[in-house]
Amino acid sequence: MDNSTQESHPRPENVVSFDSPYQIYAMAISAANRRRIAVGSFIEELNNRVDILSFSEDSSYLKPIPALSFDHPYPPTKLLFNPSPSAPRNLLASSGDFLRLWEIKDASIDNVSTLNNSKTSEYSAPLTSFDWNEAEPRRIGTSSIDTTCTIWDIEKGVVETQLIAHDKEVYDIAWGEAGVFASVSADGSVRIFDLRDKEHSTIIYESPTPDTPLLRLAWNKQDLRYMATTLMDSNKIVILDIRSPTMPVAELERHNASVNAIAWAPQSCRHICSAGDDGQALLWELPTVAGPNGIDPMSMYSAGAEINQLQWSAAQPDWIAIAFGNKMQMLKV
Amino acid sequence: MDTGNQSQKGVPDNLRKQLALAVRSIQWSYAIFWSISDTQSGALEWGCGYYNGDIKTRKTVQAVDVHADELGLQRGDQLRELYESLSLGETSPQPKRPTAALSPEDLTDAEWYFLVCMSFVFNIGQGLPGRTLARNETVWLRNAHRADTKVFSRSLLAKAKNFLTFLLLLNYRSNCGLDLRCFLQSASIQTVACFPHLGGVIELGTTELVSEDLNLIQHIKTSFLESPSAVVFKSPDDGSNGAADNNDIICEVLDDTNMPENNLDQLLDCGEMDVCSPDNSSDDFPDNLLREESHLEDGVDGEAPPMQNGQFKNDSISNNSMNSSDCVSQTYGNPETSTRHSDGKKAADSYRHGSQKCNQQKNNSSGFQGDDIHYQVVLSSLLKSSHQLVLGSYCRNRNRESSFVNWKDRPVSSRVPQTATPQRLLKKTDVDEIDRTHVLSERKRREKLNERFTTLGSLVPSGGKVDKVSILDHTIEYLRELERKVEELESTRQSKPHDAVERTSDNYGPNKNKRKACETDKTAVDSKRARLRDSSADSITVSIADKDVLIEIRCSWRECVLVQVMEAVSKLHLDSQTVQSSNVDGILSVSIKAKCKGLKGASAGVIRQALQKVIRK
Repeated sequence: MDNSTQESHPRPENVVSFDSPYQIYAMAISAANRRRIAVGSFIEELNNRVDILSFSEDSSYLKPIPALSFDHPYPPTKLLFNPSPSAPRNLLASSGDFLRLWEIKDASIDNVSTLNNSKTSEYSAPLTSFDWNEAEPRRIGTSSIDTTCTIWDIEKGVVETQLIAHDKEVYDIAWGEAGVFASVSADGSVRIFDLRDKEHSTIIYESPTPDTPLLRLAWNKQDLRYMATTLMDSNKIVILDIRSPTMPVAELERHNASVNAIAWAPQSCRHICSAGDDGQALLWELPTVAGPNGIDPMSMYSAGAEINQLQWSAAQPDWIAIAFGNKMQMLKV
Repeated sequence: MDTGNQSQKGVPDNLRKQLALAVRSIQWSYAIFWSISDTQSGALEWGCGYYNGDIKTRKTVQAVDVHADELGLQRGDQLRELYESLSLGETSPQPKRPTAALSPEDLTDAEWYFLVCMSFVFNIGQGLPGRTLARNETVWLRNAHRADTKVFSRSLLAKAKNFLTFLLLLNYRSNCGLDLRCFLQSASIQTVACFPHLGGVIELGTTELVSEDLNLIQHIKTSFLESPSAVVFKSPDDGSNGAADNNDIICEVLDDTNMPENNLDQLLDCGEMDVCSPDNSSDDFPDNLLREESHLEDGVDGEAPPMQNGQFKNDSISNNSMNSSDCVSQTYGNPETSTRHSDGKKAADSYRHGSQKCNQQKNNSSGFQGDDIHYQVVLSSLLKSSHQLVLGSYCRNRNRESSFVNWKDRPVSSRVPQTATPQRLLKKTDVDEIDRTHVLSERKRREKLNERFTTLGSLVPSGGKVDKVSILDHTIEYLRELERKVEELESTRQSKPHDAVERTSDNYGPNKNKRKACETDKTAVDSKRARLRDSSADSITVSIADKDVLIEIRCSWRECVLVQVMEAVSKLHLDSQTVQSSNVDGILSVSIKAKCKGLKGASAGVIRQALQKVIRK
């Protein structure tokens, strides 16, 4: 990197872009091959597409791999690669109307399985999100608008358990440990579930104004005490300590518009990144004591359009992936 | 009970209690005993300590209860335990929460400082305790929080508010935020005093700014520690109170391992730092140095000249005692400080010119940077962690590599795109999920419907209107119309079903005559048609020849007349063999040839009568 000139805007090498023919929503960075990024389209029709991009930070390019591109029915609401880098099969999971697993081979991608737990063949509640358990990679938990969370054993292709998690639609789910997950819902609560005790769940936060849906949840994998969540139509990111329920540890309120996505840093337990409708991606560092005026972010990036998606993967800890409009960018941290 | 504190290095067991009593009596914040390390030769490390400062209980910060000395000792134990769990945690593969009774958030800043002190190791002559030991003298440092790190390597610690970062750096393999900016906040530990004791060094610190009082030290020693030591008593230097804070700073010159060029920096940064020389000669500073050297070589004794000059590190000076860092200390000044101030200034000036290693005095930033880098190096080696995200947040030049702009440098007026629907995509994936698949299939259905409507519209004469209601209306209308027409057409077709003449072909011989007769009759009929029509007279001719009966009827046509005639004929026991009928202009001419059934045939008159009845019905 050439540091001889100081510029106020980021140097080209720090931002690598990809222009897609369609709007992008879901994104995932591969753990097995950190240069591979999957992007899913968001077209409100049956025919959608998932592309695999190849990312090179040295040459600063983001290009699709034509052979590794496949059709997806309905827009994928989330994409995730298998979190264990040494898994025998390079799998990509997508959620939409069902949970689907795709195997990425050298020159093609095949649909390995479509996991459907619906008893009736007519209608199955669409999935809002899912999370792949890093400690137990055969486990995937999905969240659905039918208020349930379903835990799948993807190796056997069967349901481990299905819990009625909330009173209303469940919008996001995140694993903490091998048998513990948390979910957020339109009923405005964050609940933690332990698979060893499926009868009970712990509410660790409820949105202050009743029935304000909580849209996204991120569990800090470096420090399992902390979680972050966002509310509907709100510019706040609420940081929670699971040991102190109901009282948030911090509320990060510096976005000028609603927050769309959050991601904890994979290499640090104190840092979190957020992106919103104001076109900004903010990097925050959480102090032990907050000043009277609240917490300011450490740094920011301005994208120029509403940022809909943010991914910060342990495979690429120096880069943050954002998606806005038809563009996808990798930002150097 | 934690015995870790006292299990090492032959620290007297009761020393801790002594420290506790001592520090509480003078109401300082902490006392630490640095002892000679077993593991590292010539190094001082943590022996034991007692913390007497503010503690946090839950969310409030309370001053320690004076009565609870047990509490204080226990607190100290807990702190030690926490430190050890954190140190161990550094080597453990997974980041785990320390199982100590205390958790990081429960500590005040001063406790943090105390805790992190446990990790420090000082070489002899290095750092405040090191120097104390080297010189075997009491060292008093005021404004420790503002002291240069060369002087007081923990000065930044003393300042720091965010000790959690240290904790996490100690504990977790992963790297956490280390925001050195927060070090520039209000102070914690402001005064530190060290004196040699029992082969080690006792350090006392407090969060208050206390001017030097060596009598205090002496008092402590005699009262609590019960051990005489050779302490150099220096009278307090009150004259320097009015000077800038830098006057109070002990500037030290580091050995070669540290940044030599910064020695001058920080010395010169001291601005009005006063370099005191035992002699008042200022012209020949190097002489002073040499003199100092000699002084030091003589060893420090209790009556050593009160001034210690700054030993500026030149390559030429390489005395083993010079390897230790020597200080310039104003506080050791004589009452003749004032003159020495000026001497010092001149000395500083001359030195400034003299040394190649002299940097610009104004180069505070570089000194600062050097400071910072040095600090990072120290921290890195100490804490074995460095990540750009973590440490780099402090360096502004980091932003050249990052795409993120420092928050403070952000453009003020950034355009905020106004979105009609906030979180539009998010809501589509989540909130509208319930309709999404339905919407799409619903849309298909609607499209099909529209298509069919269009087709219908094209089939039906709708007069240009294309809305669905009109199309349907027109269709209904059209359908009814069509039905009516069909009905009409069907009925008209039935009303003229006999337009076509039905002639049965008969090849019977006698029929030939009949045919002729018919023909003639026909012609006769034709000629008489008008007459018949006018007269509308029916005629029946019956001729019987043996059993053959010939019936000829002429009448006006009406429905079913022929059928009725045939019925009548069969009722008359006549077996019809041939029937010829024609309907011309509404006149029916029927010619029937029949045979009598039975023995007795009906007479002609009877036949005629019957037929007439039929005809005239």
